[in-house]
Amino acid sequence: MSGNPPNSQADRWAAILKDRSIEHVVVLGANGTMGYGSAALFTTAVPKVTLLARTRDKAEEGLAAAIKQVRSPTVASRTEVGDYDTDLERVVGEADLVFEALTEDLEIKRTIFDRVEKARRDDSIVATVTSGLSINQLCEGRSESFRKHFMGLHFFNPPNVIVGTELIPGNDTDPQLVDFIEAFSTLRLGRVMVRTADTPAFAGNRVGFKVLNEAAQLAEQMSPTLVDRLVGPYTGRAMTPLATIDLVGWDIHRAIVDNVYENSKDEAHSTLKLPHYMDKLMASGVMGNKSGGGFFKKAGDDRLVLDPSTGQYVSAADIKLPNLDYIGEVAHLYSMGRYAEGMAKFLAAEGDEAALARKVIAGYVAYAFERAGEVTETITGIDMIMGAGFNWAPPSVLVDTMGAQAAVSMIEEAELSVPSLLSEAAGSKEGELLFNDDSVNIGKFFVAS
Amino acid sequence: MAVPEVYVLGGYQTDFARNWTKESKHFSALMREGVLGALQECDIAPEEIESAHVGNFAAELYCMQGHLGAFFTEVDPAFSGLPTGRHEAACASGSIALLAASAEIEAGRYDLQAVVGIEQMKTVSASVGGAYLGTAAWYDQEAEGVEFPFPKLFGRLGDEYDKRYGLDDRYLAEISRLNYDNAKLNPNAQTRTWYMNKEHALCRTDDNAAVGGRIRIADCSQVTDGAVCVFLASRAYAEKYAKGMGQKIEDIPRIKGWGHNTARLRFEDKVAESADSEYVLPHVRSTITNAWERAGMKDVSAIDGIETHDCFTTSEYMAIDHFGLTAPGESWKAVEEGVLEIDGQCPINPSGGLIGAGHPVGATGVRQLLDGYKQVTGQADAYQVKDAKNFQTLNIGGSGTTSVSFIVGVD
Repeated sequence: MSGNPPNSQADRWAAILKDRSIEHVVVLGANGTMGYGSAALFTTAVPKVTLLARTRDKAEEGLAAAIKQVRSPTVASRTEVGDYDTDLERVVGEADLVFEALTEDLEIKRTIFDRVEKARRDDSIVATVTSGLSINQLCEGRSESFRKHFMGLHFFNPPNVIVGTELIPGNDTDPQLVDFIEAFSTLRLGRVMVRTADTPAFAGNRVGFKVLNEAAQLAEQMSPTLVDRLVGPYTGRAMTPLATIDLVGWDIHRAIVDNVYENSKDEAHSTLKLPHYMDKLMASGVMGNKSGGGFFKKAGDDRLVLDPSTGQYVSAADIKLPNLDYIGEVAHLYSMGRYAEGMAKFLAAEGDEAALARKVIAGYVAYAFERAGEVTETITGIDMIMGAGFNWAPPSVLVDTMGAQAAVSMIEEAELSVPSLLSEAAGSKEGELLFNDDSVNIGKFFVAS
Repeated sequence: MAVPEVYVLGGYQTDFARNWTKESKHFSALMREGVLGALQECDIAPEEIESAHVGNFAAELYCMQGHLGAFFTEVDPAFSGLPTGRHEAACASGSIALLAASAEIEAGRYDLQAVVGIEQMKTVSASVGGAYLGTAAWYDQEAEGVEFPFPKLFGRLGDEYDKRYGLDDRYLAEISRLNYDNAKLNPNAQTRTWYMNKEHALCRTDDNAAVGGRIRIADCSQVTDGAVCVFLASRAYAEKYAKGMGQKIEDIPRIKGWGHNTARLRFEDKVAESADSEYVLPHVRSTITNAWERAGMKDVSAIDGIETHDCFTTSEYMAIDHFGLTAPGESWKAVEEGVLEIDGQCPINPSGGLIGAGHPVGATGVRQLLDGYKQVTGQADAYQVKDAKNFQTLNIGGSGTTSVSFIVGVD
């Protein structure tokens, strides 16, 4: 039985939503993936959503894509389209929320904010979906009203599927508006909201792309097939790391890790350095799935795998893998719902490969716990965004499942420094859990393959 | 002699949005998470459980696995030696397991029972799954060689209403809209992030394709993987439990009444039998009224909310007048007047029901009882019905064939 007073959080949010509403959203950059995806999402709760793009045709393309994405022609009944030159001032003047989803370029965004600032009502909220630019930098030099009403609202792609969302207030954002957007996004848009600091790549991408990039670095020494087996589903993710980079796009991966590498200095700095082979192959047009292939590629019925040392592709069938029997044993235990036993088997597995896999997972856990207090207030924020944004086992779930002492040993084995939060947890009494949200089934993160 | 009381101590539901095949999980993992989740949620040690029942429709087909009660022994070593069994009555399987467990308590055999409702359905394609579901009808007469037989059978239920009383599909769309809306408030609901609204439910394009007569995609419940486990107890155990939890026995809900009837298997036979009745499915009506009689209740006015079997919008439409919320044939009035909304006069499916929350066939009856328990103990969070004291369930197997209803409540 729950010890919490019933409905306290829901009641608080409901009360906030009584005082304010969003009846009209204007989406800027509505022909981009995040633009039309977010527009479709807004139509679930907002009566009027205006899609704006450089030209009306582009905005129409965005609307068509939004309809396709959520497979409902009803999106059209709540939307209208327009272009910046003809419509921006008028519709921004009417909007309760201006949602900016332009190209990730500081100057392009600033130029449009010049116009938004002049046209907006004093009480309208301006949010940006940026995944990499600084919220404070984006509103630098703007009026007090603009800065008070400005924040980051970072949906993950595709927004109609992935509910994890980051909410990033700037230094001058009105805390009541942050509460309002949190309540609105949670109750009306069905989001799992995580507040983050205005740090490079915020919380989810900071931690997630660190792991993805470390996997890409490993591919300098071994086949991508082996990397994705080692850091595969059994380590707590639905999709393997290099396949994820292919899906996200190599250019996006580069933008995110370069941003973190240039704008932060942390204990794992070197793991955020983009591997040289990726730069080189991007110059020849390799961008992942959108360019027809990245680490992996389909050629008819054949599955091809990149050899990063040569830039050539080899048939997946020809790749020789070392003995990885331990993965099958871990997966077998998971398949029966025996997650702690499976995790114990992983920790005890012998051989260089298992040690390498543990090193990546140790890196993930240690990096996340070191970021608690920096990118989010506590580790819970990072846990929620890794779970709801990346569909990865949240770091605390891994620690709870293996036991805090075992987690400390794993990090020591990887020759990484142990975050103080974890040493404390290892010293506290057994049975105390780091992850306490009982609305999340932690079993879903232990994928049995 | 008064019938001994059966108490509900609570339980646990897995997240119905999960696809256990995509997680590469065996049936046993679903069972394990359901049971362990309930033990943890209710703070009950496995040694305390004296007998266990599993409600399941078709694990032999979906998972190539029978003998499901025995899987309790795989959940915890303390379950070694536990009396177990499995119960089946199509989509009412979970309720049948609850009935069997409560009968054992009433007979004084055991003081604490675990009841699991479970189904893993995403192991097969939609069309193969549709054929498996066809075995809940009279397979070779109603389902064999028919693609998606059940939407067609429940489409005919709508047609029968149309014939007798008139039926506007707008009201079916509104029922769909309400279930999807409620599901957004339920953290375990399968469709909580899906795109749906009334206009979509009404739209007649391929985005909302017809699957059986007037039944379109938005009218259908879901193909779902899920397990739900609840604990039923005797008064003696419930008193001990309440004391341990710092509660009074009056705070622990009990099963106040139940109904259980079976009608003929084929839909056409049921309809022929009811030709002279004002109710299209009179046995469903009896199930509901039997539960009131056993609970000492006069009618639906004693009920604060309902979790009903909306396998299709037409089955919820049928439930509305069968519960007596309107005169027979006038279910549309309750839809139009907002009676069924969470803050309405008699909310139906605040959880989202089978359309919104999901329909892991054998789990549904147990899920309905657990949601009723949550409502009457004030634990339903965002989908809480205010001041609910009595909740009634209606769980239906086949095309209105086996029906079971429970009333769970506090005094």
